[in-house]
Amino acid sequence: MNSHKLASDAVDQTPQQVLETAFDQHDAVAISFSGAEDVVLIDMACNLSDAIAVFCLDTGRLHPETYQFIEKVRDFYGIDIDVIFPEAESVASLVKEKGLFSFYEEGHAECCSIRKIEPLRKYLTEMDAWITGQRRDQSPTRSFVAQMQDDLAFSTAEKTMKKYNPLANWSSAQVWQYIRDNDVPYNKLHDRGFRSIGCEPCTRSTAPNQHEREGRWWWEEATRRECGLHVVVKDE
Amino acid sequence: MKITFVKKILVDGNPCPKCADVEKKLRQSGNIDRIDEVLIADVRDPDSAGMQLANDLQVTRAPFFVVERDGDVEVFTVYFKFVKQVLGGKTNSTEEAAELLNDNPDLDYI
Ligand code: SF4
Repeated sequence: MNSHKLASDAVDQTPQQVLETAFDQHDAVAISFSGAEDVVLIDMACNLSDAIAVFCLDTGRLHPETYQFIEKVRDFYGIDIDVIFPEAESVASLVKEKGLFSFYEEGHAECCSIRKIEPLRKYLTEMDAWITGQRRDQSPTRSFVAQMQDDLAFSTAEKTMKKYNPLANWSSAQVWQYIRDNDVPYNKLHDRGFRSIGCEPCTRSTAPNQHEREGRWWWEEATRRECGLHVVVKDE
Repeated sequence: MKITFVKKILVDGNPCPKCADVEKKLRQSGNIDRIDEVLIADVRDPDSAGMQLANDLQVTRAPFFVVERDGDVEVFTVYFKFVKQVLGGKTNSTEEAAELLNDNPDLDYI
């Protein structure tokens, strides 16, 4: 039976313990690196293993600072980073039909599907598990992120994909404390008020009192998708 | 094998856009002929057949498909998985990605 509920194990471990479990349990496991503060995962992983796999999704729309940072991380840790790209044909057809900024008019779903989800899904077919920097404090929809979970979005009839979120229980402050304590390199955009770093046209800096998610797709209405099946009384 | 397609009616009486989109795809591909029964889940009416079935099977999203074969009941809430696994059809990877994002709205935030 398909379910959208992610199966999660109730664990409360340190990020390093979660990483160790991921490396122990899977040969084909890769760290997803967005070019932001999830760099701490690479730092931790390099202290646990000398053969880590790291990938980065290059949507073609990242900030120059992010590309520079990816290079810096590659040099600093002496690691290979698989940079994965969208299908050229899909991007070309989107741009031909709707231009380079269709997300401002029509919402970001189509562009993100093509530039992020399609290549990510393809990459993950080679993996048994992936590791992300997702944290519960990043957005209201992440309040249930578990440290380890079955990732049904990328599972198939043949294989259950596992997802590890070592930082799930950490706050942004803990991540930054780790960065400072361990002299971890970080993206220069953070010094300019970017709490969350994504594609250049869709990311902006936020004020200290704003949620970091507010730095993304700010022009879109904060409407919730209506896929749920709950009874609504007529004059509700 | 019996296939039931459950589509939702919103509180304003309109069909849910995703259900309409899935139905359009079923019609365009001709797969609509493989559906044995279409039920309406009207969120204003808990007694509507679709809402009752959703309740019985503990399904919380729409649209969804119920496949009964050899005494087993399987529920699919992801259209392309249903097409591939039940109808043996092909889907386009861009459309699959769009559906994945639609069903997992947090995936864009990577
Ligand atoms: S974040 Fe913006 S530019 Fe990047 S893939 Fe999504 S819509 Fe496209």
